[in-house]
Amino acid sequence: MENTGSIDSLGSKRSSSRQPSVDSLSSTSTSRSDWSTHAAKPTFAMSSDNVSISTEFSPELRGRPKAVAKVLRDSKEEPQLLPKESVQDMAKDVTYICPYIGALRGTLTVTNYRLFFKCMDREPAFVLDLPLGVVSRVEKIGGASSRGEVSYGLVCKDIRNLRFAHKQMEDSLRKSIFEILMKFAFPVSNGLTIFAFEYGQVYPENGWKVYDAQVEYKRQGLPNESWRITKVNDHYELCDTYPSTLVVPVNIPDEELKRVAAFRAKGRIPVLSWIHPESQATVIRCSQPMVGVNGKRSKDDEKYLQTIMDANAQSHKLFIFDARPSVNAAANKMKGGGYESEDAYQNAELVFLDIHNIHVMRESLRKLKEVVYPNIKESHWFSNLESTHWLEHIKLILAGALRIADKVESGKTSVVVHCSDGWDRTVQLTSLAMLMLDGHYRTIRGFQVLLEKEWLSFGHRFQLRIGHGDKNHTDADRSPVFLQFIDCVWQMTRQFLAAFEFNEYFLITILDHLYSCLFGTFMCNSEQQRVKEELPKKTVSLWAYINSQPEEFTNPLYVNYSNHVLFPVVSMRHLELWVGYYIRWNPRMRPQEPVHQRYKELLAKRAELQKRVEELQREVNNRSASSSSERAGSPTRSITPVQTFV
Amino acid sequence: MFSVKPMKPTFKSYLPPLQTELKQIPQPPIKKLEARLLPGEIVVNEVSFVRKCIGADSSHGDLWGKLICTNFKVSFITHDALPMQRFQVANRLLGEHDVPLACVEQVVTVNDAKGKQKVLCSNQKLKFNPTELILYCKDFRIIRFRFDEAGPQSAKKVCLAIAHYSQPADPQLLFGFEYVGKQYYGSLGERVNGVDPGGGLQMPLFDRPSEWDREIKRTGAAEWRVCSINEGYVVSPSLPEYFVVPVSLADQDLKQYLCFFTAHRIPLWCWNHPNGSALVRMASISDPLQQRKLDQRICSAITKSHPQRSDVLKSDLDKNLPNIQDIQAAFVKVRQICVIEPFEESEEKWLSSMESSRWLEYVRAFLKHSAEVVYLLEGKHVSVILQEEEDRDLSCVVSSLVQLMLDPHFRSLTGFQSLVQKEWVMAGHRFLDRCNHLKKNDKEESPLFQLFLDCVWQIINQYPAAFEFTETYLTVLSDSMWIPVFSTFLFNCPQQRTENSMDFAQSKCISVGEEKALRFPPVWDWSQQFTPKDQALFNNPMYVGKGATCVQNGAVKSFRRTKKNYSSTLRGMPSSLRNILMDGHDSLTLTRRNSLVSRLKPDFSQIREVVESPTERFFRDWVSRPADLQGMLIPQLLPSHLALWRLYFLRWVPEASIPKGGPVTAYHKLSQLADEVEKLQSQLRQYKGATPASTPTSNAPPSDHSRMYFKAGSTHEPSSTPEYLSSSFPFSPVGNMCRRSILGTPLSKFLNGAKIWLSTETLANEAL
Repeated sequence: MENTGSIDSLGSKRSSSRQPSVDSLSSTSTSRSDWSTHAAKPTFAMSSDNVSISTEFSPELRGRPKAVAKVLRDSKEEPQLLPKESVQDMAKDVTYICPYIGALRGTLTVTNYRLFFKCMDREPAFVLDLPLGVVSRVEKIGGASSRGEVSYGLVCKDIRNLRFAHKQMEDSLRKSIFEILMKFAFPVSNGLTIFAFEYGQVYPENGWKVYDAQVEYKRQGLPNESWRITKVNDHYELCDTYPSTLVVPVNIPDEELKRVAAFRAKGRIPVLSWIHPESQATVIRCSQPMVGVNGKRSKDDEKYLQTIMDANAQSHKLFIFDARPSVNAAANKMKGGGYESEDAYQNAELVFLDIHNIHVMRESLRKLKEVVYPNIKESHWFSNLESTHWLEHIKLILAGALRIADKVESGKTSVVVHCSDGWDRTVQLTSLAMLMLDGHYRTIRGFQVLLEKEWLSFGHRFQLRIGHGDKNHTDADRSPVFLQFIDCVWQMTRQFLAAFEFNEYFLITILDHLYSCLFGTFMCNSEQQRVKEELPKKTVSLWAYINSQPEEFTNPLYVNYSNHVLFPVVSMRHLELWVGYYIRWNPRMRPQEPVHQRYKELLAKRAELQKRVEELQREVNNRSASSSSERAGSPTRSITPVQTFV
Repeated sequence: MFSVKPMKPTFKSYLPPLQTELKQIPQPPIKKLEARLLPGEIVVNEVSFVRKCIGADSSHGDLWGKLICTNFKVSFITHDALPMQRFQVANRLLGEHDVPLACVEQVVTVNDAKGKQKVLCSNQKLKFNPTELILYCKDFRIIRFRFDEAGPQSAKKVCLAIAHYSQPADPQLLFGFEYVGKQYYGSLGERVNGVDPGGGLQMPLFDRPSEWDREIKRTGAAEWRVCSINEGYVVSPSLPEYFVVPVSLADQDLKQYLCFFTAHRIPLWCWNHPNGSALVRMASISDPLQQRKLDQRICSAITKSHPQRSDVLKSDLDKNLPNIQDIQAAFVKVRQICVIEPFEESEEKWLSSMESSRWLEYVRAFLKHSAEVVYLLEGKHVSVILQEEEDRDLSCVVSSLVQLMLDPHFRSLTGFQSLVQKEWVMAGHRFLDRCNHLKKNDKEESPLFQLFLDCVWQIINQYPAAFEFTETYLTVLSDSMWIPVFSTFLFNCPQQRTENSMDFAQSKCISVGEEKALRFPPVWDWSQQFTPKDQALFNNPMYVGKGATCVQNGAVKSFRRTKKNYSSTLRGMPSSLRNILMDGHDSLTLTRRNSLVSRLKPDFSQIREVVESPTERFFRDWVSRPADLQGMLIPQLLPSHLALWRLYFLRWVPEASIPKGGPVTAYHKLSQLADEVEKLQSQLRQYKGATPASTPTSNAPPSDHSRMYFKAGSTHEPSSTPEYLSSSFPFSPVGNMCRRSILGTPLSKFLNGAKIWLSTETLANEAL
């Protein structure tokens, strides 16, 4: 049973993990096991995670639904298709040059959604299955080689590269399958629609309804005597990259908001992101003030910030966190931007957080990929990692967020956060600070709300940063800003194992679908665009998929402590490279969530024991009731009722 | 009685009354501060009105009390309570602020008025009156005392006493001798206290033939026998009295071979794989002329003991692993960056500093080498000889790691302890020298046992449900090395223990009866140090084990793999000796290739066919299957998968402590759940045990024998994390890590340049 091919052995694993056997304890079956129950649904929207390379490569197999497994077991060479997915081309005798196990010959299939490669020669069969959305660039390498082969390199957004080769076409008129692949990998550049607009899977829940700004602000106790919800941006007239619903100080009428908008880059005025339920200290986000070389001032902007400070009676100070290094902030004056001078803004203290720009971050990730893929060098691991500066950037972002959270929580002071435009570093900081301050955002749904609110509605430019379906891979606007944020979240989950309702798999799934182009969630650059494109109508939300099986993504250790503010230790001593994400393609790496797995087993065991104890108790009670009248009370139940996460 | 009312000016005098009398009364309380002494412990020197530093930058929170030097410990007695809430597991042999002398690494005295400081050694003079004493401890603590209000002469005396007594000239001056003599033997030689040191333990110490016999049976090593030619240590002083050899080697043969081995250390059997392959350790053959012949004899004997007559491979540890000095140097460096260097300054280059310490590289080298031996035993079905010059250092680490990876029995608490007993204590690891208890020879000092514990931690970290014990257990075990009363860590070999304790008993006229030697308690009787409740901290709530491994007919049943394929695998293999040196580099074929990523075009064209070594293939195959925690466990060996053991290295560092966070938060939750499951099980047993006529008594107390530290029940779903939980739990940085700058110079700068920490040479000899 164990050696009958990748899919078979997967099946066997699944069946073995149904009953808590020793085998399954530390394996990935945590996430695998429950999949079978969803076999009926084409849930393998999972897919990009699904890019399976055979059993050895277990991480990719995670979540492969049974339905697909069956098809493959029947030794078919093409994938099972999603609704509206269609095969575009298929080529036999393609060689996949695996960096780990060498050249593999098999059949390559390209659909309007995915690339699927299967090599039947190997036992177990080797499968590679990935959404075309992860492909960042396709390169034809060299001309015809001595063997008459052409080869193609695929650079992927999810920290790996793939390389294929196939025989030169004899019929020179026939297109190579890779040309077809390029067409569908970059639909935007080729005048095609992104697959998310075709995929019409129906889920029990409409994921687009997860976030409602009014509801979220109400949860925060807004509006209140100091803060109001304004409709000034209802039609995105004030600021086209902001959401329609904004929270601003009560005392500032909409007319004044417009004058403030004129002084802030892209009209991104300071608005409330979060308010402390007790101290009323607030987290405010905005873009840089248009100070310029001449040190321009705006009375309206100054008054506005003063009002924000006054709205919090606890403190007579306001902290302005400028995410940038001070040099960069100063350099922005040349372009009309800049930062608040402390002369103009009385009672405000300006702090620079030294976080670098999107270009530095992109370069850092590029270096990181070099260090971790395909293999890690035996020596100098730490210094190679250090030279990428990736963890250093993570540290600076987390440190900035920690300072913000600390000012709000311990200092009871309101804070204003901005960078240049307020849609990259700013959102990293505000959303991380909110995650530290507010336990709601640490739940599965709360986290979705956080992303919908801080990232999506406030205009983090996902389309531009990720470049969905766009072949222009050198675009300077691309940057792993969101990946960094998720990495920071993962770092926090490592320090507070019981504080988050979601698990690592949840974070990885989000990242995989950041690129997959299967769901509409990360399409477009702003709320305005999403409305215009009618995304909620035309696409499926990632949250619909995730919320259809929350148990997959639940951290069983989660405890909902009230008012638990997290202050992570932001030190290189605790930060780690997220191996479960960056190194997952390496077959020598065993993905694991054994602690969670073990906990789930204990929960199951407890439930079973409780049942048995209760049965016996009942039996005993019945017997004693019938046999004697001396004992009035039943044995006290020392155990509280089951509350199960599984 | 001292309720002093401020006196009012009386009619007679308009001047306020003098209150000089009152002012002279010192601040500290009048209650007597007395040292708590163990049997055999005596006070050497003491000084009052000492301040123990708590805060890093101010004297706020400092404690007032008496500093005492005994022949066992440096004790600080105070009535003050620590300012911050904290949790620290208590040791029954030590007070809250005590440090055993054996744990003191370096004694530094400072006079800040004169700008002087000196590292004190035994029998040295001190030309200034110290205002401050800093103790650098082997368990990484840095403890500081101030003498501003203390008598200068007494302070000086105490400092000198600490320096002197922390460097005993002779093993018999180690406190354990006095302690064991007084604790367990009365003046008439009768056993006192009703305690038989180590007698009540339910685990083998391997000092008896019967215990070796049982181990032979447990592992199914039918063709191996217990050999007692070393009874009374007549043939080799460093070997145990009883050990195991191939059946085909008679005592006569062994006696003949003895003299050709370094220190007469002939091959010792360690363990048998269920497939019949044996793990053997031996010293090098000192006579090159005999080398070949002897190698052949030994190997053919081992081959004969294999049911399939499998090959024997030899692994030369000296050639493939770092030596003891390398390991010591790495340890010193990692300690330096973890606890000595200023936290913020070392952040920037943290990763490269970690790398340059090479500690994790060595941890990985040992794990990797052991995993390769595992491959030979498990994957190739051959027997393996671990060879090392003296067979007393590196082979201890490798043989124990191999057994941990292959045999789930050793992942239970008692199994692990018996493993340490077998492969370290009985095999003659020089604990006395490696711990440098006598501080005589720094060159012999090397943290091999700590390295081993770190390797174990790495496996635990990767397979958290596979071990019965926790990282707290490993940490506490390491700390116990510095409490010099346990037989486990005091001696270089069993013979040394016997000899020294006989001498001691004679000189002190202790009658030891028939045993001829004092019986030191092993560290394994944990009730010596901890309450039963605290011992629950050792238990891993996630452990998936059957308690002890299921043993039937001498075979460990829990092995997953079947044995049916032997013959086919072995066919065609020459049965002659093949001396394969595992070079530990085979995986480089996989990793040295150019990376695919950077510059696309050249790299894509450079990809060559991947050649995977059989070892690599074996590991990858294993990784691709779900791990069987009751079967073989191979650690993941990618450099990215080894981590710093934070609890061990950073537990005292306040800046690194995560409040309400760290692994303990999961441990807390898991323990409560495991406890709940245990309670339910016992409830179930109660019901089942109840006769039909009687109902179980409803108020029967739930069994107190819960294995879990955190109990379920009243604290069900607490509204907040317990305050005392931090990533340092169950230890606390408070008062244990005072790195405050001296004389305006950061401590690290002061110590920099010199041989930091380890050197007992005088630094900046009495002048800054």
